[in-house]
Amino acid sequence: MGGSGFLQGFAMDSRVKDGIDQETVAAARALESENYRAGFSTDIETEYAPKGLDESTVRFISAKKDEPDWLLDWRLKAYQRWLTMTEPDWAMVEYDPINYQDIYFYAAPKAGAKYESLDDVPREILETYEKLGIPLREAEVLLGVEGAAETAAAAREPRRIAVDAVFDSVSVATTFRAELEKAGVIFMSISEAVHQHPDLIKAYLGSVVPQSDNYFATLNSAVFSDGTFVYIPPGVRCPMELSTYFRMNAENTGQFERTLIIADKGAYVSYLEGCTAPMRDENQLHAAVVELVALDDAEIKYSTVQNWWPGDETGKGGIYNFVTKRGDCRGPRSKISWTQVETGSAVTWKYPSCILRGDDSVGEFYSIAVTNGRQMADTGTKMIHLGKRTRSRIISKGISAGRSDNTYRGLVSINGKAAQARNFTQCDSLLIGGDCGAHTVPYVENRRADAQLEHEATTTKLSEDQLFYVRQRGLGEEDAVALLVNGFVREVLQELPMEFAVEAQSLLKVSLEGSVG
Amino acid sequence: MAPARGALSPTFPDASPAERALADRFMAGTVDGRRGRAFEAFARTGLPHRRLEGWRWTDFRAALATLAPVTATGHGQALPVADGAVTLRFSGEEIFLPDSLPDGLILHTKADAPALAGAEEAPMAALAAALAGRGTGPDTVILEVCGRVAEPVHIVCEGGGAEVNFARIAVIVRPGGALDLVESHLGGAGLSSVLIEIDVAASGQLRRTLSQRGDAHEAQAITALVHLDEGASYIQTALAFGARVARIETRLVHRGTGSAAVLNGVYLCAGGQHVDFTSHVRHGAPACTTRQVTKGAVLKGGRGVFQGKFLVPRDIGQHTDADMQHQALLLEQGAEVFAKPELEIYADDVECAHGNTSGALDPDMLFYLRQRGIPLTEARAMLTQAFIAEALAAAGGGTHEALSAAASRFLSGVSL
Amino acid sequence: MLKLTDLTASVGEAGEARTILNGLSLEVPAGEVHAIMGPNGAGKSTLSYVLTGKAGYEVSGGSAWLDGHDLLALDPEERAALGLFLSFQYPLEVPGVPVMTFVRAAMNAQRKARGEAEISAPDFIKMARDIGKELNLSADMLKRPLNVGFSGGEKKRLEIFQMRMLEPRFAILDETDSGLDIDALRIVAEGVNALRSPERGMLVITHYQRLLDYIVPDKVHVLSHGRVILTGGPELALRLEKEGYDGIEGAAA
Ligand SMILES: Nc1ncnc2c1ncn2[C@@H]1O[C@H](COP(=O)(O)OP(=O)(O)O)[C@@H](O)[C@H]1O
Ligand SMILES: [Mg+2]
Repeated sequence: MGGSGFLQGFAMDSRVKDGIDQETVAAARALESENYRAGFSTDIETEYAPKGLDESTVRFISAKKDEPDWLLDWRLKAYQRWLTMTEPDWAMVEYDPINYQDIYFYAAPKAGAKYESLDDVPREILETYEKLGIPLREAEVLLGVEGAAETAAAAREPRRIAVDAVFDSVSVATTFRAELEKAGVIFMSISEAVHQHPDLIKAYLGSVVPQSDNYFATLNSAVFSDGTFVYIPPGVRCPMELSTYFRMNAENTGQFERTLIIADKGAYVSYLEGCTAPMRDENQLHAAVVELVALDDAEIKYSTVQNWWPGDETGKGGIYNFVTKRGDCRGPRSKISWTQVETGSAVTWKYPSCILRGDDSVGEFYSIAVTNGRQMADTGTKMIHLGKRTRSRIISKGISAGRSDNTYRGLVSINGKAAQARNFTQCDSLLIGGDCGAHTVPYVENRRADAQLEHEATTTKLSEDQLFYVRQRGLGEEDAVALLVNGFVREVLQELPMEFAVEAQSLLKVSLEGSVG
Repeated sequence: MAPARGALSPTFPDASPAERALADRFMAGTVDGRRGRAFEAFARTGLPHRRLEGWRWTDFRAALATLAPVTATGHGQALPVADGAVTLRFSGEEIFLPDSLPDGLILHTKADAPALAGAEEAPMAALAAALAGRGTGPDTVILEVCGRVAEPVHIVCEGGGAEVNFARIAVIVRPGGALDLVESHLGGAGLSSVLIEIDVAASGQLRRTLSQRGDAHEAQAITALVHLDEGASYIQTALAFGARVARIETRLVHRGTGSAAVLNGVYLCAGGQHVDFTSHVRHGAPACTTRQVTKGAVLKGGRGVFQGKFLVPRDIGQHTDADMQHQALLLEQGAEVFAKPELEIYADDVECAHGNTSGALDPDMLFYLRQRGIPLTEARAMLTQAFIAEALAAAGGGTHEALSAAASRFLSGVSL
Repeated sequence: MLKLTDLTASVGEAGEARTILNGLSLEVPAGEVHAIMGPNGAGKSTLSYVLTGKAGYEVSGGSAWLDGHDLLALDPEERAALGLFLSFQYPLEVPGVPVMTFVRAAMNAQRKARGEAEISAPDFIKMARDIGKELNLSADMLKRPLNVGFSGGEKKRLEIFQMRMLEPRFAILDETDSGLDIDALRIVAEGVNALRSPERGMLVITHYQRLLDYIVPDKVHVLSHGRVILTGGPELALRLEKEGYDGIEGAAA
């Protein structure tokens, strides 16, 4: 039976899935777990909320963060609402039911969430970031050591990236704070912002993704632990890339971060997000909410490289990545651009979207989604055209290998008032091997005679002729595949900031290792 | 197993008056097991409505508050078909069958409804299977095609102003057989549902051409369930003008290697008219092809819906070659076009593509025509006619001109 | 016949409007052929669109009269029915509409607007065949969709074909010569000359003096920045060829 949840917010009661041919599934190819270089865990003393979820869990989290009453009330309201909702099942993903009473909803390194100096940060955390390839020097900066910002800045010229590192439920440190403050940019954990900028939080929290939006967003509203807050004042071009690095470490722990980015009139910011988690046999839940607000003439570029642990070759373990990301182009001529490279997670359910409210506003979605092994990804975007002359562009490249399923699901909706709206959508799927699935489910709703909408989609396999050509020139099979895949996704890679593009390329290669031959 | 009469009501927890009336109709006739199962399949969802994924843009439950007779007995003329055509007419409770048949064509009538496979996926087809015939006529009319039949078969469905008009027709094309099937769906009932089951055996050919008309008091469903064996060919062309809601649904399965299907359609919706073209094509055998072109033009207050799906299963769907195109023109502000072109693919050695566009006519083209002296209305009609022509080109049974002319009449009546 | 006075027109949305025609005045009496020359971007095509009524151009001042009709008040097809014809600089492809169907629809629409009887099918076909032959367009080409898959030169010949068929009272030819080889140029020029008559007028827009060897104009106007900066006889075209627009603009300033 079908379900219509994708289009009605996300709260849904039925499913779209059909036709999976179980009998003909051939034996899986081994997918080497060693490929996942982020798969280690950090042994560190951790403080948990009591396992499971009830009202006291919500109060516990709020109390840990010393939150004002209004926020506690807000959380409790979300929790009550959540109790009345049912988990959506319309996406083309299948997973074992989540036992919400078997999850820790809060985990924090015992030594405390905020660090004044390098000495206060547990050595294990520093080492974790070092192992993940986040430079130590930057980690020092991240710890706010005097003078380190300048040194690190010099080391990374011409591009610098400020990092907010979130370790399980808490933000452990934010770098380049002082320099950003000079420009008037606010970049801090959302828990801090609740105390330091309550007016901004009150005005914008939940204004793009309402509490009741969908099952996982409502859950997040009740139990969100930490995340990043960014505010760019009017007319300011953020002097460096901002980024958040998410790390799920603790066992049996859900991560529920919340990100809120506001670009005031004429402001610009580019924001990067990276994620990893240790290899564990159990599934872990990640249910984040990201809200972006772009006021008049503002631009937000949001890039994600998602590399959560996908589970092993038999489909054991891995992250359930159920994320709600939405941007609101609130002002005229504003622009929000989402770029994502999704290689990780066992199950992904994610539709970074744009509400094009301001006249002449622009929404973009560039996506590479790679699935291998037993991964399932159901991802895409929604472009909601409300304002006049709003434009959107969707480029989606799906690559399926192993025994995975990869679905693009998208909505382009032209409201009756969106005069001369434009959309262009290109969805391409590439199949590597005969045991995977590639699916395209676009919804296109046009209510304007002067709108112009174009959608194209193709599904093909990696061309044997091309593969042979490249190998004849001397490349090994895996390099040849990587080369061709890079060609296939090039349009999207170009949208990534340079450092991320390089990382994404090597991730693609690693993700597809063992998929041919 | 036949459901106990009293046991049926629980399947309609919030039955609308129309659904209750349908249940009453069902209970009033003889209830055999297969009919019972068909009705149960229907009752599971009731009249399909927008909360069902496949019916989000076409809501029969909302469109059909009650079952009532209508003033129109039918709309327009049946399609003019080539000489010698055999006509079958379904009108409310009455069925008119031909006295004589051309060589190679055999007509059977069955008093008891055969089982309907996949009834759950097509609730309106299930309803037709449950309620067609009912004592006053045969439940199913079966056309068996045993050779290459030169004369087209013409099915005319015209309600005559009744509350309902249900028909169930099966067309079985034997190996190497060929037939031109023409259908005129003229409305004239509060609710019409026609179910056509088509089986084309190895190397058989069926060309199906249909036209649909209705008005804002009618709901119409035309569902075809098609199976193609090895090397079979199926060419479908549909022209629809809509009704309060009109759904033309084709569920096709490529069952034998190398079968080929063409599914073309044109919808032309005036204000208050709604057309839904839905198709589901399963590439259940290797090396089959599907070509699908759907074109639409919609005026203020009209709504066009296109939902297409290609499903390519693992292994058996290898070497599929399938292409789906939907292109729509919104001729006036206030028109709506909703589309969902879907691919679900589990085999790697395939070429599948779809394209979807919607928007207005190119203003530069319009200007070019007007500069030569062609008035705006005529220029629009001309360009729109050219735009849809491709999707009517494969029409059979000598109906191509009539379909083009019908489209042209609609388009030149457009005053903008 | 055609009288333009102080014509001022702009493109773009209000607020960002850009003035392209800047007080342009010009008069073409019946029976005369005038040439308009001018550098790229001078506003020549804009003038042709403003006169024929293409959407997107805002006329903010001045007037345009053809035979006592206020052109600017009419729809494009009404202007066409008055006998105003434009040979487009870039003829558009119109898929699915065959040339013959199209020209016949246009001819009959114009006749209807003027209260004349429709042309009979045999007369139409004969006329099309004769004119097609003169322009070296085969019957086969005339059955194909309008301009679709035609070469640049063929498209231009097809424009002249339409002009000959529709027999306009006033024709504007926008760079009909560009992209033509010498044989095609001669064919096109002959087509134009065949229409010259005391009741007709023409505006021939061109970059090159070359075309004017074949279609000798009564007057030549030089257009720059949306207005006529210089008017002269055919010799002006030769001078332009020698001195270039820069020289002329300098002299006129
Ligand atoms: N639709 C339009 N929008 C914006 N600018 C235009 C438009 N049409 C013409 N222009 C501009 O107007 C000027 C005159 O163009 P045009 O009339 O085509 O020149 P010409 O035909 O003399 O080469 C050019 O600068 C051109 O860029
Ligand atoms: Mg020009």
